[in-house]
Amino acid sequence: MNRLYCRHRNIIDFALSSLLRRTGKNVALLVVYTLVVFALASVIFFVQALKREAALLLKDAPDMVVQKLVAGRHDPIPVGYGAKIGAIRGVSGVHPRLWGYYYDPAVGANYTLLVPDDRSVAPEAVVIGSGVARTRRLSEGDFMTFRSYDGKTVMLQVARILPAESELVAADLVLIGENDFRALFAFPDGMATDLALTVRNPLELATVAAKIADQFPDTRPILKSEMLRTYDSIFDWRGGVMVVMLGVALLAFIIFAWDRATGLSAEERKEIGILKSIGWETGDVLLLRFWEGAIVSLSAFFFGVILAYCHVFFFSASLFEHPLKGWGVLYPQFRLVPVVDPYQLAVLFFLTVVPYTVATVIPSWRAATAEPDAAMRS
Amino acid sequence: MIELARVTKRFNAGRANEFTAVRDVSLTVARGGVTVLKGPSGSGKTTLLTLIGCMSRPTSGRVVLRGIRTEAVPAADGDGIEISGLPERFLTGIRRSTFGFIFQQFNLVRGITVLENVMLPAYPTGEAYGAVRTRALDLLERFGITRHASARIDLLSGGELQRVAIARALINEPAVIIADEPTAHLDSALSRDFMAIVGSFKAAGRTILIASHDPIVFESPLADAVVEMRDGGVIHGGSAA
Amino acid sequence: MILHPATLALLCSSLLTGFMALHAGWHGVRILRRWEMGSGSELQLSLERRTYLVSTLVSVACAVQLCSLFLFIYTADHLHGLFTGAMCAAGTLNANGFGYPVLLLKVANFLLAGSWLVINHADSRGYDYPLIRAKYRLLLVIAPLLLVEAFLLFAYVRGLHADVITSCCGSLFGREKPGLAGDLASLPPGPMVAAFYGGMGATVALGIRHWRTGRGGLPFAAVSTLAFGVAAASLVSFICLYVYELPTHHCPFCLLQKEYGYVGYLLYATLLGGGVAGLGTGILDRFRSRGSMARVIPHLQRRLVAVTLLLYLAFTLIVTYRMLATPFTLLR
Repeated sequence: MNRLYCRHRNIIDFALSSLLRRTGKNVALLVVYTLVVFALASVIFFVQALKREAALLLKDAPDMVVQKLVAGRHDPIPVGYGAKIGAIRGVSGVHPRLWGYYYDPAVGANYTLLVPDDRSVAPEAVVIGSGVARTRRLSEGDFMTFRSYDGKTVMLQVARILPAESELVAADLVLIGENDFRALFAFPDGMATDLALTVRNPLELATVAAKIADQFPDTRPILKSEMLRTYDSIFDWRGGVMVVMLGVALLAFIIFAWDRATGLSAEERKEIGILKSIGWETGDVLLLRFWEGAIVSLSAFFFGVILAYCHVFFFSASLFEHPLKGWGVLYPQFRLVPVVDPYQLAVLFFLTVVPYTVATVIPSWRAATAEPDAAMRS
Repeated sequence: MIELARVTKRFNAGRANEFTAVRDVSLTVARGGVTVLKGPSGSGKTTLLTLIGCMSRPTSGRVVLRGIRTEAVPAADGDGIEISGLPERFLTGIRRSTFGFIFQQFNLVRGITVLENVMLPAYPTGEAYGAVRTRALDLLERFGITRHASARIDLLSGGELQRVAIARALINEPAVIIADEPTAHLDSALSRDFMAIVGSFKAAGRTILIASHDPIVFESPLADAVVEMRDGGVIHGGSAA
Repeated sequence: MILHPATLALLCSSLLTGFMALHAGWHGVRILRRWEMGSGSELQLSLERRTYLVSTLVSVACAVQLCSLFLFIYTADHLHGLFTGAMCAAGTLNANGFGYPVLLLKVANFLLAGSWLVINHADSRGYDYPLIRAKYRLLLVIAPLLLVEAFLLFAYVRGLHADVITSCCGSLFGREKPGLAGDLASLPPGPMVAAFYGGMGATVALGIRHWRTGRGGLPFAAVSTLAFGVAAASLVSFICLYVYELPTHHCPFCLLQKEYGYVGYLLYATLLGGGVAGLGTGILDRFRSRGSMARVIPHLQRRLVAVTLLLYLAFTLIVTYRMLATPFTLLR
């Protein structure tokens, strides 16, 4: 056991000195390797953090939402449905919700208008999110102009601006009173945008949804789990697309690594020849190359992960936000919560270190099988 | 003792540039003595050295080592190990522990210190670093080059380089020393110094094999046997098959 | 198809393993056909050089296989949220017909590749390459299997579509369901516990006998492989129940989750490691008398037996600790 340890230790020693002796080439490789790890890690961390945020958000979302459909499109739902739905066994509460989208041509942005459940917004007033305030340059007490669906101009005073911490949820949010909402959108009385249901027992969700779909064939029930799944899918898919695109970079890197491993300089070849001639066998030289590769891989992995961590969690992944968050004018400015788990690191490892190692197996072997007597002849 | 029986080494067999370096050589290298291989360049001396020193395998023929103890290979017939058919792993194992090489071009690794160069052959054996280092320093002292221990080899003179090469050859305490044209880069004074060192090896009981066309070597009183080679064959001094 | 960084990583590594398998297999064929030990010809020397390449490729492939096995299970677990009815990896694996075959093939390939490495290690210690033909014949079995696995994995990932209704492990591993999974769960805990401890005990007994007398390698290997099977069945049958402290949750994949202290990794690693070592002992036994192997194999076998016993004991200790440390009990 001790011999094995000493052997490895000595060879690692030589591998380190060997790497340091050829700094130029190795630094180039290290930099490219680190960049590849950095790019992939940024994508993976970012997607993971977004999914987590979405999950946290949806924690407070209603268990089920019932929407009315007209010719396959979402339409306001009669509040009267709510009473019948509330009678279904398993449903513990029904809440009609009033919300909608308002397009503001002045800045080209879509606001989400919402009547809060507690009806806390005073008449002719609005509470706006920080993103809206930022884009329209509004502060408390200012007036916001809206154009209602029946052509009138409506002026509402900004009562409060939502705190910055709520950016992710509320950047484009405008909280409004019920009467103002109905006036703005010419929204008929007795109708709601959709119905939010509370179902205590999660196992019953599917059954309740089936019953609703049965009793009200013009509605569609949407489960929270479906929403979560859809968000996950989208983020995963986007992450996957990014990884595929980065796959081109990864391939280039692998070719570079393979080329570098194959293209040994005359000096390096001579050195291996010398090692073989003084008593190192092929297995020892292979071990040397393996340890050199391992040292480079681990360093690149370490630096790449740290850089990606800083990039994603301190700079909000400014390089990758657009393809990953989707496009729009109002971007919530928020700090992602750092969460890195061993699983992501394992995935990263498989995407970077494993291809690098495999790419260098054959060139390393070729280098290691130099004839020991060739050194005598040179 | 090393026995070669009808050993042939052929390169690039079957191709246009086929070349027979050693042709049907039978030879016995006595134990504890100095054997010199003499002959012009291209006569196959270097190739023969590699065959004797377990550095390559003969295309045909047998090479048998007698009187060498090694844990890996049990003695086959009598005391001898036939190395011609051994896999590289065992060949290298035997070579590492039994033979020490001094190359014509010294073959030292540039960019690392003299001390590390001397210790290099012992790295893969799994011996503790500390023990090897002590031995290396002792060897450097024995040849008077301790002051260069941390120097890079680029700064050393020809004579000093050769002494580093000799120290390296001795690091694994081999029973046989093999030197290929050791005096090629040395002046007469240093060549005579070298032969003095060879004398000390002989006194210590080691077997020495030298390939040289330098008269200082093959006409030295230390040489117990001189084998003359030409065109891959032994013309004088070999043994019957 | 699910385009997730993890599935891409799995596909990537599977592709690489397949490539390595192909390369190794190709060299293996050449070696099998033209090998002539003792010849000094250049062809022979070049073939000997190639053996280094093949053993490096198989070593890397084996390491990647082991890691990707765990990555595969963990990814299946991670993705369970995308499928209705799937509560853990079991559900994801059941999403299409390729999931379980991939898993079983991965385990089989790992065991085979591990055995190959054991034989290779023994062979390299012998000065006359005595096992070369047997080794490369085995390689010709392993290489296609690795390729098949890559293909199946690709088919599996391609066939994954989110929202597919699949059965949750509760229904897969519930008592009343037919099929292998259901049968395992239905095995009564009492006799299973007895069989488990019995199997481990027999392995230890035979192992100690081998250690002292150097004989009985083949019976040891047979018993240890049997114990491997019994332990795997026990995992589903009663070990899971103790870990989850629920009498109906039989899924062996949920063991890998954080809530249970990742104990699944320890259990699977020790069991798989012990399985390979035990299998290796038995395979080597066949070659005991071949040439230089007479000096090498007995020593190697002793070490393998020691490794098997150590790992199996670790497994048993963890299980026993779990069983004793919880107030939950199946046996009165």
